[in-house]
Amino acid sequence: MSELSIEPVLGWRLWHVRLHDDEYRLESFTMHHVSWPAGSRFEAGCAVHGGGAPVHQHECGIYAFTLRAYAEELLRRYIGVRHHYGREYRELPPVRQGRPIALGSVSLWGRILARERGYRAQYAYPYELFLIGGDEQIAREVRDRYAVDVSLA
Amino acid sequence: MDIGVPETEHEIEIVPLEEPIPGPAPVEDPVEDPAPA
Repeated sequence: MSELSIEPVLGWRLWHVRLHDDEYRLESFTMHHVSWPAGSRFEAGCAVHGGGAPVHQHECGIYAFTLRAYAEELLRRYIGVRHHYGREYRELPPVRQGRPIALGSVSLWGRILARERGYRAQYAYPYELFLIGGDEQIAREVRDRYAVDVSLA
Repeated sequence: MDIGVPETEHEIEIVPLEEPIPGPAPVEDPVEDPAPA
């Protein structure tokens, strides 16, 4: 039996921020060219289970971490920064100019499968974003498009 | 994304009273400069 709640779960994740038809959109960090819709929920789909995602003993669903630190850890791994002068790198590292990344919190709801470091969810929408490698203009465009707070990291 | 091992997985059902999707940001009216006296 599953727990039941009316409060969305807040997770943390990364997105690519890419231009599509002259508009900056949030795009899945791991699935190539999967854009997150603005003004409507992003719904998990699965090539095997269709709209039934997420499903136990499969890897489908919308992913998010329980903690911001885990999303930052993924960002460091993604751009190859592991240590800084022998210490764990604490600052957010720079990304390639012109290829912004958004780190942020995300509302999750519907059916959620929770593990110790994160979630696989049925529905999601961004909650607050921190733009890395972008500028004020891109932040403003993403803020207006998704109607969420966006600040430069 | 490494969210942990499948053996720890448990299910949560979230049914919000309202879906957490913000409406479009309000358009601010332009502020006119006061006319000189």
